[in-house]
Amino acid sequence: MGPIRIEPARAFEEAMTTQRKLAAAVATLRSLEDVEFGVSEKEEVYREDKLVVYRYKGERPPTAKVPILIVYALVNRPYMVDLQDDRSLVKNLLARGEDVYLIDWGYPDGADRWLTLDDYINGYIGRSVDAVAQAAGVAKINVLGICQGGAFSLCFAAMHPHKVQNLITMVTPVDFHTPENMLSNWVQQLDADLFVDTLGNVPADLMNLCYLMLKPVRLFQQKYIGLVDIMDDKVEMENFLRMEKWIFDSPDQAGEAFRQFIKDFYQGNKLIKGGLRIGSREVRLSDITMPVLNVFAEQDHLVPPSASRVLGDHIGTKDYTPIAFRGGHIGIYVSGRAQREVPTAIHDWLAARSR
Amino acid sequence: MSDLPHSDWMNQWQTMARQYRDAWQQMGRVPDAAPLFAMPSWPQGFEQMAKGFSAGGNAQNNTVENLVSSAKMYAAFMQSMLGATMQGNASPDWGDALRQGFASMGAGATMPAGLFGHPSMAQWQAGAGQGSDPFAQFRQAMGNLRMPAANGLGDFKSMLELPAFGMMRERQEQQQESAIAWLDYQEQTARYNALMLKASQRGFELFEGKLTEREQPGRQIDSMRALYDLWVDAAEEGYAEIALSKEFREIYGAMVNAQMRVRSHVQHSVERVATEFGMPTRSEINSIGERLQSLRREVRAKGTDHAIAAEVASLRQEVAQLKARETRQSRTTIVQPVDWEERPVRTPTTAATTRPGQPASSNKATRAKAKGKAVSRVVETSQPAGRRRAARSAKAVSPTLAKPKKRKVDQRGARKSKAVAATAKGSFASRVQTFTTASRGQANSRSKWKLAEKPADPAKKSGH
Repeated sequence: MGPIRIEPARAFEEAMTTQRKLAAAVATLRSLEDVEFGVSEKEEVYREDKLVVYRYKGERPPTAKVPILIVYALVNRPYMVDLQDDRSLVKNLLARGEDVYLIDWGYPDGADRWLTLDDYINGYIGRSVDAVAQAAGVAKINVLGICQGGAFSLCFAAMHPHKVQNLITMVTPVDFHTPENMLSNWVQQLDADLFVDTLGNVPADLMNLCYLMLKPVRLFQQKYIGLVDIMDDKVEMENFLRMEKWIFDSPDQAGEAFRQFIKDFYQGNKLIKGGLRIGSREVRLSDITMPVLNVFAEQDHLVPPSASRVLGDHIGTKDYTPIAFRGGHIGIYVSGRAQREVPTAIHDWLAARSR
Repeated sequence: MSDLPHSDWMNQWQTMARQYRDAWQQMGRVPDAAPLFAMPSWPQGFEQMAKGFSAGGNAQNNTVENLVSSAKMYAAFMQSMLGATMQGNASPDWGDALRQGFASMGAGATMPAGLFGHPSMAQWQAGAGQGSDPFAQFRQAMGNLRMPAANGLGDFKSMLELPAFGMMRERQEQQQESAIAWLDYQEQTARYNALMLKASQRGFELFEGKLTEREQPGRQIDSMRALYDLWVDAAEEGYAEIALSKEFREIYGAMVNAQMRVRSHVQHSVERVATEFGMPTRSEINSIGERLQSLRREVRAKGTDHAIAAEVASLRQEVAQLKARETRQSRTTIVQPVDWEERPVRTPTTAATTRPGQPASSNKATRAKAKGKAVSRVVETSQPAGRRRAARSAKAVSPTLAKPKKRKVDQRGARKSKAVAATAKGSFASRVQTFTTASRGQANSRSKWKLAEKPADPAKKSGH
């Protein structure tokens, strides 16, 4: 007996269903407006160049005394943490009484071509942390770094431990040389100097293409074929389009910062091997002595869990909590499970350290 | 395969094919006038559908574009599978059908490379640049430059490396370098494509293995979608094996580097033309940008330096004043805070407050009053000198902050620490003042104090 047993009637029904859904999709897609994102009310508390720090407002005043500053990656827009009403890390943290701030990096252009990691970490993040601390009237704040922003937060916390009360990292690469790290494998032979000297700022489209090429058939093709299944469902289609918009709404990367990130983090793996210098300071993870919560995703194809879970081996704190989330790099923000588990885990962990 | 008799199956198929055509007609988009028996072209139907979306000016056109592109591939796959069933054979050759199906998807030869027809992939082939194709003119210029056969490539390159001479020597050299870069890029791209072919083949190997696993009853594939999903799993696994290999690392890096060299040559050519026309170039703008950013850092650093220098100078001045004042105070008495407006100044009891060998001073409060500040009330005491020093350090730390209600002479070290901690919450300057004043009474343990940090520690260390 062969492995394929497709009845003609079944095959034909599949074809007809596909056709019917596509027909319905015409009406569905035409009825959709441009999708909106960002559901939580926010106010601007600090602005510098293209960077803006926002403070989110919950339905009730925060009960937490120490605010959280979310430091997102440069490679995507940060509204992923507040995507829509039922998929919002920010909203869920606010509901639990946290005082949430976020750095929006904006869209770098040619004027930002020469921004270095020092400018980003000791400069922008440093001044944002000061601004949040001043706004909240505290000396130290909690920092929540996500993905590349997590790596930046590690650097910042190592260099400025007196400014960070608690550090939370989410899907953050620490060891850039683990065997499952496809992106890392691809850039090992990349001539980063030639690359940046030629491109200047790294185009967002190129970055997106690299991410798609991590799983080309699934992300270029299967995802859209799967879309047929929901094409007659307006709500599901809106959710899909919102996510699609976020995926391709990417800023260009400031050339100099990109150069250093590739050379020192991806190629040199200096975050754990040592020798990483940001500006005039050396980054030593052992200088991170504040409590650290490390949340990583078990099915993460961008930042493999093996790249994240080693953090505890390299930092100096005695209060380290790793949490493995069952999901992927995106699911950790938007999946139903994430809405239930991640904000609660963060809040409870912080609450235990505020007593 | 189906257990239906052949004739019944044929009738059923023709009926379904008619339904299918009717469905397209109802949508108003008949793909073509193909005979009913021959399955109409689904991919063509999707093309028609895409046009319908575009005509509507829908805001989601990008998604539609991706959807239609993918759906066309999938439809081609389905059509091939249906074609296999159409033969009416009780045991269709699924192997041939699959090969044909994947070939029609553009995945037959090279699985991921077949995706190069995808709209997003076109960007990479165009150089992944912003906006227009950056290589268009370059390709036009290199139009006659074709990749020679592998065995002749070395000779061809050596020809391009011949020395240039004459007035146009420099330009000729640049053109030769550009041509070599272009050839290298072609070469590296060919290597990359070959690797993609390898990934594709590996994907099919894995797919065969997965199919074999499903030969057992109950695990068989009974839908086209399940078959397609299984192929995707295998294709991704095969691709991942290659993409994580050291071979891929080397070839991918070489291809990207080669492309960057080509782009760099294109940029230089454009800059040369721009310069000839007196237009600003990218290099010039880069240079300005770099200088500007450097200047911004310098200004910010200097601003910070100035602020720190000013604060240090201010602190030094305050410390000097405090020391001078302390010198004067220490000649007189133990003092406790008091609001000048409310409490009278009393003459100090020199016997109890004057340090051995130091002259007493009785006009401290008067001088303070003259400065318009709150001053301290003189305390009359007969306690031992050690306790007096402790009390002095606890109560005299900050005349403006300490509270009169707590004027008790026999303060112990713990209270002393609390007083320091309380006053340490002020400005940096006030903290320095606090420390300076407080440390006067800590002659034996001064080195244990730390400015405004962990104020409780000294008390612990000193056994309080």
